[in-house]
Amino acid sequence: MRSLGRRSRLLLLIVMLSLCGVLILLSASGALTAAEGIVAAPLQGLSGLFNRLSLSISDRLEELNDLGQLRERIAELEEQLARRQIESIQLREAASDYERLIDLLSYTSALENQEFLTADVIAVEQTGIARSVIINRGARDGIAEGMPVTTNLGLVGRIIEVSANAAQVQLINDENSAVSSRLQTTRAHGSIIGQASGVLRLTMVDLDEEIGQGDLVITSGLGGNFPADIVVGQVTSVRQFEFELFQEAEVRSLIDFETLEFVLVITSFEPIDLTFFDQMEDN
Amino acid sequence: MGRYLSILILGLSAALSASIIPHAITFVVSLLGNFLPLLEQTRGQLNLVMLFVLCWSLRADLTESLIWALVGGLAIDLLSILPLGTTSVVFILFAFFVNSVVRQLFRVRVLFLVAVTPLATIVLTLYALFALALTGRSYDFFDMLRLVLIPTVVYNSLAVVPVYAVVRLIQRRLEGGLQFAPQSLAPGSGALDQA
Repeated sequence: MRSLGRRSRLLLLIVMLSLCGVLILLSASGALTAAEGIVAAPLQGLSGLFNRLSLSISDRLEELNDLGQLRERIAELEEQLARRQIESIQLREAASDYERLIDLLSYTSALENQEFLTADVIAVEQTGIARSVIINRGARDGIAEGMPVTTNLGLVGRIIEVSANAAQVQLINDENSAVSSRLQTTRAHGSIIGQASGVLRLTMVDLDEEIGQGDLVITSGLGGNFPADIVVGQVTSVRQFEFELFQEAEVRSLIDFETLEFVLVITSFEPIDLTFFDQMEDN
Repeated sequence: MGRYLSILILGLSAALSASIIPHAITFVVSLLGNFLPLLEQTRGQLNLVMLFVLCWSLRADLTESLIWALVGGLAIDLLSILPLGTTSVVFILFAFFVNSVVRQLFRVRVLFLVAVTPLATIVLTLYALFALALTGRSYDFFDMLRLVLIPTVVYNSLAVVPVYAVVRLIQRRLEGGLQFAPQSLAPGSGALDQA
């Protein structure tokens, strides 16, 4: 094969590129989804194994690295805990009042009725450009595109691609992710957008609204892509200029996206397709 | 033999690039971030699969190089949001370029490899940005240049020589295995036909 002529070399190149072209077309049209799932399964299994191994090692190393910081953090948290205990007593009182009221009204919260499916994170995006992860649950487990993904600490993202036994999750800190949100304190609406640096930005908040450092940001449910009242993060800084129409804030998610191990997929939530209304307007 | 080996090596590399390597980079960056806070925002990745494809193409024949490129691209696409075959296109072009140029111009192959790796990384990242834009996902070009491309060029350039050493070791073993095969099993000896 070493003595391939120039024409044969070019022909071989064209054949290989054509093969790729056909593969891209088939894959983009969704015709290869089943085959991709089968071929990717051993790769995802291996990746999942490595992922668990590396996470356990990096956890140990980080513990050693952060020892000094951890001591300071413990002191800070102990102080916060004392304050929260007082708040907790007051909230428990409020909760018991709330339960009595919902019993009276036969009202059931949407959050209480949600069904979750636990999944392991088995791989991170290969290109380094998009921020997404692959989980070990797919169409066979009832996963569908658009389902929200969370952890006990808050919103992670949503399902963007599904194969038979794996799914791709677009993280909320991806630049192409936008989540309708509101501030828990003032109920002011805004939109959480991912940044290239990985920081979340709360945008489109009216200038009249007050945003404070430490305010909790939750999903608003507007747009029908995510259920309401899922924690997104906490405001760390606010940016407000008089010449702009809206104010912005930087939000820190409580989740460390670099070391995600397990996630919860909300399987009972169906995203609402609002494009129908756009079509009506066009007509 | 090298053709079949590609599935094992590139599959393993893709799995490592999607699991252990990002965590290792995050850990190192967080350590260095104490001295250089700017580093903490970077999100470059080491593309082990691309390095293996480039290194293998240096000494293998064209057909084998192209098979490695195809398999490597597929391994990456199976673990990414890009359609299957997207990365293979650019890997095939890399393999063809390396295979064609190296025989004509360069005697010191490892130097050529060190020079071509940053170039290949730039082309691959720009190509991935373009492919993602075609699938409806647009990213800020200058942010990607600063936060993804530059660190990725650094990681790939640092890793290419060790990867080349591993590839040479494997290729020598393969060549040695063929060279020292018993005469009775050599092609045309009749032993294989009888078997």
